[in-house]
Amino acid sequence: MSDAVIDLDGVDKKYRFFQLSDVTLRVVPGQIAGFVGPNGAGKSTTIRILMGMIRADRGSVRVLGRSMPREQAAAKWDIGFVSEDMRLHTSATVGWHMRFIASIYPGWDAAYADTLLRRFNLHAEQPVKVLSHGERVKAALLLVLARRPRLLLLDEPTTGLDPVARHEILGELMEVVTDERRAILFSSHNTQDVEQISDQITFIDRGRIIDSSDKETFLDRWRRLHLEVASGSLPPTFPGVVDTVVSGRTAIATTRAFTAELPAAYQRAGVTVRQIQRLTLEEIFVANVMNNRGPQ
Amino acid sequence: MNRSIVWQVVAKDLFFMRWMIVGAIVAGAGALAVMPQGRVPGYVGAVSLICTLIVLLIFLVMGPIVQERKDKVVLFVLSLPISTTQYTAAKVIANLIAFGVPWLALTIGTFAVVAMSQIPDGVLPFWTAVMGYMFFYYCALLAVGLLSDSAGWHAASIVTGNISVNFLIPFLLARPSLKGNMEGPAAIWSSDILAIVALEFALGIIALGAAFHVRTRKPDFV
Repeated sequence: MSDAVIDLDGVDKKYRFFQLSDVTLRVVPGQIAGFVGPNGAGKSTTIRILMGMIRADRGSVRVLGRSMPREQAAAKWDIGFVSEDMRLHTSATVGWHMRFIASIYPGWDAAYADTLLRRFNLHAEQPVKVLSHGERVKAALLLVLARRPRLLLLDEPTTGLDPVARHEILGELMEVVTDERRAILFSSHNTQDVEQISDQITFIDRGRIIDSSDKETFLDRWRRLHLEVASGSLPPTFPGVVDTVVSGRTAIATTRAFTAELPAAYQRAGVTVRQIQRLTLEEIFVANVMNNRGPQ
Repeated sequence: MNRSIVWQVVAKDLFFMRWMIVGAIVAGAGALAVMPQGRVPGYVGAVSLICTLIVLLIFLVMGPIVQERKDKVVLFVLSLPISTTQYTAAKVIANLIAFGVPWLALTIGTFAVVAMSQIPDGVLPFWTAVMGYMFFYYCALLAVGLLSDSAGWHAASIVTGNISVNFLIPFLLARPSLKGNMEGPAAIWSSDILAIVALEFALGIIALGAAFHVRTRKPDFV
């Protein structure tokens, strides 16, 4: 029996102009999993498959040990879902939504909800229709956080938010996984947010998972090497080097599989390694996507 | 436990539709009140009653069903512990109640006004068929609202529905059993009128049932 809270295996979903292919994803309790991809990569489709809103054409979808979409009603007791495009009832207030959710979930924590209300600078009597985008997202998050679900599925929750709102939301999310039984799947195309809070990162592009690893491994194995080559010659290519740009006697090689052996191999090949740089997650993401797409 | 959530979603929807329900009953009651005041007020009242029900059914389908999907409020409701089938059932139940209560109240009201006024009882079969048609129109529009996100389909359905009422009334008045009995002191429930009423209800229920069946079997709900 798997202890994973999310267990997607070989999931396909075909649309006329888009296809999700062989998506495999596993998230265990205590993890904040970042799900990163460009617009239209398949993040929202994957998350909606996890919520049972979309039926996969093929593959196995299990969330909190339940098969989706068949057991979605039972699974959703312990799932908190927020997406960037989700809207609350505009003719009701934030307080009405809090009472509505509290009436459904016995585990609703009213004291925590009030704390979040203050922390997010929201007011219970505020009608939803007057909330800004950021306030709306914070209200939606409040509604899921205060019922303390075991799994949070967040589809681009920080998109379009100002830095302060993003900071507030990310802070709350990090607090969630201080309880090791809980987990978060957090999709975004903003790598800064993902880098800040995630411990596991999965890249998706054009409907395919292109890489998945824990954050430290990603940051460790991706490096940029500044090389000095003999004029007019090209540096050798080693396994794991995904891109080499040559300009005169200078070359920049990007590798996805850095080890201490790589600089030594360049030295042996007569290439001087001038500098070795770590990449930011954004640079890793872009290099990964471009490498996956191949020559356009 | 999930069954109770379905009813909580029904109650939530009825809460949001409460003013439409009240408004339709008040407007319909006003229309019924002027009906016995003479020939012209009677005509104005009859048209107002039909218009009230048409406005109500359009608002009920286009708001809580279509607009909820368009505005992505559906994502919030579907985040609750209900299945997509239960969600659809809750929407249909709430909407049927929201239309059914004013529709039934105004149908009973029409019978009561006819019984208590100088309006001849001969009009009752005609009004029963008109109210039956309102039920069918509502069910057909709800079926379109459940199945389609296309504004074009919605507009076409509403225009067709509204125009069809203009054909329905002369069609009914041309029925031999109604033609000579509208001014009569007793309601004549002829077989053709009963068949028309039965057909209206049957078609409405079939349209709605078919739409529910198709909607709940769609692989992609959002």
